[in-house]
Amino acid sequence: MTKFLKGNYTLDVTIDETGDGEAMQTVEEFERKALSRLGGSICFVSKKGFLWKGEDGARTSDRQPS
Amino acid sequence: MELGRQIASRLKEATFERVVAAGLSNAEINGPRIQRSVLELSRLRLGAGDSAIVVGAGPSLHRRRSLERLRASGYAGTVVAVDGALGACLRAGVVPHVVVSVDPHRERIVRWFGDPALSAAPADDYFRRQEMDPAHAADELSANRALLRLVDAHGASIRVAVATSAAPEVVARCAAAGMELFWWNPMYDDYDRSESVSLRLHRANGLPCLNGGGNVGTAAWVIAHAVLEKRRVALLGIDFSYPPGTPYERTQYYPELRALFGDRFAEAYVSLEHPVLKERWFCDPAYWWFRDVFLEMAREAECRTVNCTEGGILFGDPIELAPLEDFLADVRAGADVTPSERT
Repeated sequence: MTKFLKGNYTLDVTIDETGDGEAMQTVEEFERKALSRLGGSICFVSKKGFLWKGEDGARTSDRQPS
Repeated sequence: MELGRQIASRLKEATFERVVAAGLSNAEINGPRIQRSVLELSRLRLGAGDSAIVVGAGPSLHRRRSLERLRASGYAGTVVAVDGALGACLRAGVVPHVVVSVDPHRERIVRWFGDPALSAAPADDYFRRQEMDPAHAADELSANRALLRLVDAHGASIRVAVATSAAPEVVARCAAAGMELFWWNPMYDDYDRSESVSLRLHRANGLPCLNGGGNVGTAAWVIAHAVLEKRRVALLGIDFSYPPGTPYERTQYYPELRALFGDRFAEAYVSLEHPVLKERWFCDPAYWWFRDVFLEMAREAECRTVNCTEGGILFGDPIELAPLEDFLADVRAGADVTPSERT
């Protein structure tokens, strides 16, 4: 808030400015949890090919990722 | 953008959130059972020629009598089925070379193999509610008993491409039925990142990581072309959607959508007209995401993908649409399938 408002007085109380951010985090957390109920049964990873055999093996993507 | 597509655009991260904890927990429990890698499947002779048919559990599978037609054709190529289609396959006399299982759910998935512990109809209406396998909807207990017998009878000739995320109950059931298990890790995230879950899992068990595309049907297609190296892959029962007129209450994510959106839940569904059938099919956000991902992956694959589902929403470049018989005729002739929309 101090970014937008500046007072020419002092307050006797301490203002907790983290409140909005925490609320936002809670909303995001809720949204993430809620959406996770709609997801699939296995992940998808973009542009990483079809099969990765490991650090020593060649990745067997049919094509290189673009 | 409509609500369903908005949600779909966020399901990549949401799926990670949904499956990673359960998948890793199951991987740890499954650890002692892991003996063979899915890569060994490519060295086995599983079906003739360079073609494969991937069997999903979508509603077109029984609506189009796809398995009965496949059985009647005497197709000699490779059949890869998802776990949810195993019962339908066996009832139709089609014994798949490979069955794919990935879902970490501890209670539900074992039912696709026959659950030895099921003694009463469960409160969970997952199987009764949906059209994936109508045999389960009619009488869950007798369907389960029949499936137990069928899987026990054919288990020894079926290989399971099983993800380390699969429920230990599924693994135990497959082993008890005499099925050979071939393991792989789901690709959870970018293995090139130092904090990657996929990288950590691979270092722990040495197994390859397979990009599953959000669902077991897509994972089965990946196994068909990237592991078994088939160059012509047909799809059956891969609808990624519900036929026109299906009540919302009978769709997979209905309880979740209702809980999240209340009376506005219907806005989360997406519909699309099939270009040949001219029917308007509809889907959950998850299935829309599966479709988008499949199309993206298919553009990277060297195999030709011919969707013989004869329904659903999976169409668009580079996927070809054709009736099953056309694909089978072209396989017999040794010719490539002509790109068409001949459903």
